[in-house]
Amino acid sequence: MELVQILRSVELFQGLSAPQFERLASLGQRLSFGTDEEVFHQGSVGDRMYVIVGGQVEIHFDQAGVPPLYLGSGQIVGEMALLDQGTRSATVISVADDTEVYSITNTDLMALCQQDTAIGFILMRNMALDLSFKLRVKNLGPTTTD
Amino acid sequence: MIYKVSYVVIGGDYPGGIKNEYERPEPGDVVQIGRVKFRVMEVHEIIPPRDDFQFLHATVKPLHDVAAGEPAKPAGKDKLSD
Repeated sequence: MELVQILRSVELFQGLSAPQFERLASLGQRLSFGTDEEVFHQGSVGDRMYVIVGGQVEIHFDQAGVPPLYLGSGQIVGEMALLDQGTRSATVISVADDTEVYSITNTDLMALCQQDTAIGFILMRNMALDLSFKLRVKNLGPTTTD
Repeated sequence: MIYKVSYVVIGGDYPGGIKNEYERPEPGDVVQIGRVKFRVMEVHEIIPPRDDFQFLHATVKPLHDVAAGEPAKPAGKDKLSD
């Protein structure tokens, strides 16, 4: 499937025009992971965010008693470091043989947002909506989601 | 329409998950979250739809719990991980 077509099914990018999708698609790279391969580790420096294109990943927290969370297609991981410049708050591991992610560096994404503030507004609004969704889920159920 | 679904496990020390689905999950469906399969018990809308997305909250139980005594819903389609 074409990358632009995949990105159109991601909530984070809802509201972008066709040319804006093309610009976005030119920024990042597609990466593949097998079962049990690590995408990033808790405490490491977060220099990029990831969109899960296919497969499934486990969000694992080192803290005792915190159950893992699983994220599938269309979800984003690593966005907290993009927003607050902090280190990774969890370890992310592929739990499928065919996990594919779209990776964009913080530097490239922020540069795009500053060059085209319309894109910047849409992405930041959608990122806030995603965090709001996760907060609502956390308030509803026994599992954690950030 | 794309359904952004939060799967939350009822009871026990099991994980939850979030993923996009292209078909609305229904009670009785089977979903794989990580390495475990679960039966969908209830589905609710969390917030109103926006653009091409609906936002759903689905409660699930491990398949073996359902098989151990609770009546399973009519057989639904299997929703496995991507």
